[in-house]
Amino acid sequence: MTRVVVVTSGKGGVGKTTTSASFATGLALRGFKTAVVDFDVGLRNLDLIMGCERRVVYDLVNVINGEANLHQALIKDKHCENLFVLPASQTRDKDALTEEGVEKVLKDLEHMGFEYIVCDSPAGIERGAVMALTFADDALVVTNPEVSSIRDSDRILGILQSKSRRAKEGREPVKEHLVITRYSAKRVDEGEMLSYKDVQELLRVPLIGVIPESETVLQASNQGSPVIHIKDSDAAEAYADVVARFLGEDAALRFVAYDKPGLLKRLFGGA
Amino acid sequence: MTAVIRELDNVRLADSLHTMMGGMGEFFADEATVIDLTQLSSAPDRVDWAGLGSLLRRYGLQPVALKGTPEHLVESARKAGLAVLGDGAARVSAADKTAPAPAAAEPAKVEPVAAPAQAAATMIIERPIRSGQQIYARGGDLVILGGVSNGAEVIADGSIHCYGPLRGRALAGAQGDTRARLLCTNFGPELVSIAGVYRTFERGVPENLAAKPAHAVLREAAGGKGGHTLNIEPLQLD
Repeated sequence: MTRVVVVTSGKGGVGKTTTSASFATGLALRGFKTAVVDFDVGLRNLDLIMGCERRVVYDLVNVINGEANLHQALIKDKHCENLFVLPASQTRDKDALTEEGVEKVLKDLEHMGFEYIVCDSPAGIERGAVMALTFADDALVVTNPEVSSIRDSDRILGILQSKSRRAKEGREPVKEHLVITRYSAKRVDEGEMLSYKDVQELLRVPLIGVIPESETVLQASNQGSPVIHIKDSDAAEAYADVVARFLGEDAALRFVAYDKPGLLKRLFGGA
Repeated sequence: MTAVIRELDNVRLADSLHTMMGGMGEFFADEATVIDLTQLSSAPDRVDWAGLGSLLRRYGLQPVALKGTPEHLVESARKAGLAVLGDGAARVSAADKTAPAPAAAEPAKVEPVAAPAQAAATMIIERPIRSGQQIYARGGDLVILGGVSNGAEVIADGSIHCYGPLRGRALAGAQGDTRARLLCTNFGPELVSIAGVYRTFERGVPENLAAKPAHAVLREAAGGKGGHTLNIEPLQLD
């Protein structure tokens, strides 16, 4: 049974692509055959984060238009055996995405035996974002602990309720999961940032993970390697937890408490 | 309901409908609609009734009858399956424009059928209402079990009852019913309105009400000149 997971947020720059890359990689590392599809036609980034930008020959729009088949367009990930990337087109715009075309691509991926299809949504609530969520079974709603991001996530949750196939056909609704990114326990402690509990209270969606703000994320992006690969980093472990919880495992929430440095630590520095 | 149309050119009508609805399809929920042609600026020789019908249906309106139809268009309209209401209907005063539409009449029937005076069913919404969504309980009360987010709007012709956090805009008595109320368990809206008397909370919701049970009600203004003031009062739940 293939499950289509959309990674969406409404607002831009909150970490959708970072989350798509690490989440898809996490699923593949668990042994699931996974495809990650970039829906940000015209502003493609996923290939950079996945480090496969030099291997892009055909893209999603080529496949939709019948100019290439999926076998030609899918790029095998350099780290994981089970992971494939379907890049977006950089030279087209989002009108190139048709509902029939997207449905056919997802169906074909299903026939190829993919167990998870992760759809990396563009920002906004227009065509590209709607196409990315139309066929979703699950949604990872990526939100920063900040009011405008929360409101935009709320908006996209409303669109999931009204425009997804599941909603239109009156089936079981899309399963919603909240991912809070760029979380700084220190700033929450100092009262400068909304806590994850505040965010969850405002959005009323089950929390699947909190990703701490971390320089590792930026380094990983620049190196073209999903952050989940960076050993011993908080962000990598937090993403691994998200994958575990998504697969139904119990994992305690980490990286949300702030320990004030003690006097000795402040005097002598230290890690 | 009645749709007053000043234009029978389908293209221009489509434009103005789009502007009016702000691109929001599905606003009306398949309501039976009387097309009022009494204010038509100029009557064309022929009208594409089928096209007009499908245009209105796109916005969730079900055209069933016409009123104030110019003589030369009556026959083509009947052929298109629309009831043509007589002069009596054409003179309905502006105050009645929002009255419920007569039930779908047979094309041959000319007498408008008055809708029975029956309370509209209460609309119950179990899911949270998200930013950008709008819910309208036409003719009755609205009960919300999941809460209303910032940037969402809930409207009812009757009262509004909200059992989750109320953070969006809430407009009760939208048709002017001054007895309508707003009752909620977790008060914190952007705007409250009853029968057009509204209040915003620029400096935040008063502390004795914020996130607490509260109700909003219109009371006769002091001085007895028939005016109303919008009172928001704490609600004791137990």
